[in-house]
Amino acid sequence: MDLPSNVWKSVFRNPLPSSDRGRAATSFTNFFLHIQPVRVSRQALRPTYTMGLGLISFFLFVILTVTGVLLMFYYVPSTTQAYDRMLDLRSSVAFGVILRNMHRWAAHAMVAVVFLHMCRVFFTGSYKPPREFNWVIGVSLFLLTLLSSFTGYLLPWDQLAFWAITVGTSIAGYAPFVGKTIKFMLLGDATVGQEALLRFYVLHVVVLPAVLTIFVAVHFWRIRKDGGLAKPEEAEPAPKPTVQVEVLEPAPVLAGAAGSAVSAEPARRFSIQGLVRGPFVKVGKLEEDTVFSWPNLLIAELFVLLLTIAGVLLVSWVFNAPLEQPVNVMHPPNPAKAPWYFLGLQEQVSYSAFWGGIGIPGIELLLLVLLPYFDRGKAGVGRWFARQRILANSIFLLFVVTNVILIVIGTFFRGANWQFVSPF
Amino acid sequence: MGAAPSTNEPAGPPAQQHGDHDTARQIPRRNFLAWLSGAGVVGSLVAGVFSTFVFMKPRVTYGQPNRFLIGHPEEFPSGARVAIDTKRVCIVREGNKVAAISTTCTHLGCIVAPSQTGFQCPCHGSQFDVDGNVTGGPAPKALAWFQVSLTPSGELEVDKDNEIQTGTYLSV
Amino acid sequence: MRVALAVVSLLVLIVGGVVVFDQFESRWQDHQAAYFHQALAQAKTDAERAALESRQPKIEQTIVTAFAGPGGETRIDRCQSCHIAVDDPRFASSKQPLATHPYSEAMGDIFRNGRWERRHKFTDFGCTVCHDGQGRGLDTADAHGEGEFWPAPMLGSTIQTGWDKEIASHLHGKEFLQANCAQCHTAKDFAGTPIVARGRELFFKTGCFGCHRIEGLSTGTLGPELTEVGKERKLDYLWGHLVNPRAYTPTSIMPQFKLSDDDKKALVIFLKSRRGSNPAESPTEAFRLNAAVTSAVPESVIPSEAMTAAAETSTPRGEKLIQQYACLSCHKLDARDGGISPDLSYEGLLHDGPWLMDHFHNPRSRVPDSNMPAFGLPENDFQAMAAYLLTRTAPPPAATPAETYKSLCARCHGDKGDGRGINAIYIDPAPRDLTKTEFMVSKPEARFLASITLGVPGTSMPAWGKALSGDQIKGVLDYVFQTYVHEPRRQLKPRKVPEQNPVPMSAASAARGEAIFLQRCTGCHGRKADGHGPNSMDISPRPRNLRNSAFIRNAPDRRLFESILYGVEGTAMPSWMDYGLAQNEVGDIVNYIRSLNEPAK
Repeated sequence: MDLPSNVWKSVFRNPLPSSDRGRAATSFTNFFLHIQPVRVSRQALRPTYTMGLGLISFFLFVILTVTGVLLMFYYVPSTTQAYDRMLDLRSSVAFGVILRNMHRWAAHAMVAVVFLHMCRVFFTGSYKPPREFNWVIGVSLFLLTLLSSFTGYLLPWDQLAFWAITVGTSIAGYAPFVGKTIKFMLLGDATVGQEALLRFYVLHVVVLPAVLTIFVAVHFWRIRKDGGLAKPEEAEPAPKPTVQVEVLEPAPVLAGAAGSAVSAEPARRFSIQGLVRGPFVKVGKLEEDTVFSWPNLLIAELFVLLLTIAGVLLVSWVFNAPLEQPVNVMHPPNPAKAPWYFLGLQEQVSYSAFWGGIGIPGIELLLLVLLPYFDRGKAGVGRWFARQRILANSIFLLFVVTNVILIVIGTFFRGANWQFVSPF
Repeated sequence: MGAAPSTNEPAGPPAQQHGDHDTARQIPRRNFLAWLSGAGVVGSLVAGVFSTFVFMKPRVTYGQPNRFLIGHPEEFPSGARVAIDTKRVCIVREGNKVAAISTTCTHLGCIVAPSQTGFQCPCHGSQFDVDGNVTGGPAPKALAWFQVSLTPSGELEVDKDNEIQTGTYLSV
Repeated sequence: MRVALAVVSLLVLIVGGVVVFDQFESRWQDHQAAYFHQALAQAKTDAERAALESRQPKIEQTIVTAFAGPGGETRIDRCQSCHIAVDDPRFASSKQPLATHPYSEAMGDIFRNGRWERRHKFTDFGCTVCHDGQGRGLDTADAHGEGEFWPAPMLGSTIQTGWDKEIASHLHGKEFLQANCAQCHTAKDFAGTPIVARGRELFFKTGCFGCHRIEGLSTGTLGPELTEVGKERKLDYLWGHLVNPRAYTPTSIMPQFKLSDDDKKALVIFLKSRRGSNPAESPTEAFRLNAAVTSAVPESVIPSEAMTAAAETSTPRGEKLIQQYACLSCHKLDARDGGISPDLSYEGLLHDGPWLMDHFHNPRSRVPDSNMPAFGLPENDFQAMAAYLLTRTAPPPAATPAETYKSLCARCHGDKGDGRGINAIYIDPAPRDLTKTEFMVSKPEARFLASITLGVPGTSMPAWGKALSGDQIKGVLDYVFQTYVHEPRRQLKPRKVPEQNPVPMSAASAARGEAIFLQRCTGCHGRKADGHGPNSMDISPRPRNLRNSAFIRNAPDRRLFESILYGVEGTAMPSWMDYGLAQNEVGDIVNYIRSLNEPAK
């Protein structure tokens, strides 16, 4: 009977690869693998270079999607039932507690890891041309992550959720001209209530994940199109290329941006890309600098995936997601705090409502988005804390440290009436 | 891409890339590790799929419970045929014997109504006799009988999760 | 890398396995298995045995739609998943969780045909309607509401983590369940809820009704509304708040009433029974009930002769009313002392009829910062009480100055003279701290004599001159200086202070004064000059309320000028002369303050 092997072959077009040709073919023909290059730079595989932060973010997103879909089976976005369903997750639903814990902790972790990923990209100068736009997408992804986490925060409908969202949407209400309207549209009512719960639910389970998925896809695609992860221009003295495919004239767009350093270099390019406008891909200018994706990249990815799952599982096994008392609109807790990632904002708001809540964060965001269009020098790309980028890195470090300190103050050092208290 | 494998890794770490530099001792070790990893991944996948099924099967429902009290036996005089529509069950008492007959039509799930001759389905005309056996219409099988028991506090309890033989009564 | 991969993949498998395994372990299953086992041994008929044998452990739940639960609409009680024998009389002497719920005639259960029949069937009522707790929980801590976040721990049995141990020791007992009985059995003389009825009585007897509003019962407005207090607060808060209101709300003006533990328990149970809408009343009924409460007369008085004895103003009636209206849970009268408000024993000497009536109608008309509520009682009751108080004209017995101080002054000024008598925290402005040497030695003796003899208008300091002789007063003052002030009177340099405000009163002057006031004085005295500026809480003695008309009108220009220009020794009031205020500017300020206190036209 050839049937089993015929079926197998129809699904997997290649046998398990034993030769380099097979390794390449596997990467080409498998849907899930074709997003990856056939060969990958050794630099990109170094754990100390990327720390796997981008991948961890993505895998956390996958975990969140899976656990989130499962939780949807038992959740009702209703002010009278949502909290009861939380109690049921704790008592009568199999795996209810662990799923909720996983979803909660993975969500918090994703906010943190996406931010760390952004820091990594900055400190290695990986937003430099041609990756400017991918940086912008990355910033958008960070905001989408924050929004997803924030909208999910309301769904348990306990005191923590209710007042955190009340505080959070009030910060949004400080925006000039449109603030009040945005807050009203977000809540669907003057205060947080049934309408707000329904809106946050729809945003949380449909709108934001869909947008996020599209942005993630574009983010990944552009990594490929921008030539893989950023690497140092002159990592090692270049031996002669072993294969010369075809050298095209440098495209006009590249000439201005990259300067003469690019065109002077012997570069190997795929001819097909000569037809495409835009920055060129310089595929592994050094053979020695790359390895096959199968199995090297795959093993690394699988390792990160399993590590992420193990981490989330372990944390969820040990720590329970918080569930405070049911909503009581008459009794705000003192202090009423936003989710931790907005506590920096809340801390700023306590100094100045407009500047802390809208002005400064708006300027920071604008600078983040525009950054790669100002800072175009090529020096120091692909290395951590390169000396040539000391100014840029110092400024960014200041930004990071300031925000972390503000969040730490808001989280641990603020007690009743937003008074300064010591947690020790 | 077409370059010979041996020229591929002139300076790479020897044992951690791919097969060409393996010594005979490393191959069984590598296979063992691959087997272990595979077992871990496949095992976790199986556990995950199994868990999903356990998760999807509700442990409690939010509708009417399937085991419920219907009152003291005295509340059903001999000859009573009381249909409790909200519970979809008909309590029958003959002498000192009590039984509970399903009022859900075995055809397509409508609620049958007790009649002079037994039970009648309003949807597609299925007919049943007093014991719930099919006497006409499209119904494929007899109405179910549920276990009735007497609780220690002296009340009758019907358990719809427990179907019993047609004609099995509880003596009270 | 490959080793790490293998390790991590096995780690995922192991943790995943533990998680999966854990889902099939629960205590309630063990309890049910134990129950089936024991019941099987006691089974008498084959049918019974067959029914028991066919049962598998599963989650037992009651869905109750008639009584809203704390989280949402439908109450789901899964208590019987562990307490599976509640309706099995054979387990009457078993231990929890496998014990029969007791039968009791008090709860309406009937013994008939040799067996008990329940009045409140579990299938109709569930468990948490009476017991509280978290019906959906399947784990002891969850189900009994032991976590600090659950709003309704089991009444009278579950002590939550974080409750004060001393308070919690009072919160055990079945009687607490009466709070839930009263949700449906709202009649105040319902036989099953005697402690709720007692608490309700205390609510009036202690005077709670004067400040607190409860829909359908009382109309007070000085304190927070208590209509739904049982829903919002747990037992430990209610109890703790009765013991010391300021422990929970530092700014609370609620007095610390003298209550026995039994009284506290009755009040707590009564308050716990206040949950706003209750299932026994339809909204229209509740509306009708509320509409009926128009009079402020509490129900403890209504049945007495207070209403029937028409316009009688005899003094014995007044005395009786003072008892019934709970005056003495704050005030002192002879031997009875509430320890919160002034002594009424010499009221006939100290105050006259109009003062008393004004004070009854609105205490703040005479003492602007009084914490006494306006009770709004019937006019003839006020008159009767005033008539009685005016008979209290027996002067205090002649005694040594030390004894006089102890009996008349120490209640406010304190045994140590430090202004911290038992009722000092309820008095605003606070009693003078007589040990503050700075202040005491810098004011002339005439001022002290005047304060004692004539009283200080707008404060709780009465005119003792009406009750004591001049010698007695002098004696007490000397005693105070000897005992509490250890320095001789200081001879101050003569100060340049005008007797009369040199700036004539005019709208323009007051406006100028207001501008200066807003610039310089609001930090302590407040933008409204009511003494509640942002810094006022940290200052002792508190900044003067400059809208206390009785006080300000009585203070001569000279005193205001001196206080502003030279400051007040021993207080936070600085010498504004040093900060550059000229005399005519002070004149503007004085005019501004006077303009605030002009009688309304």
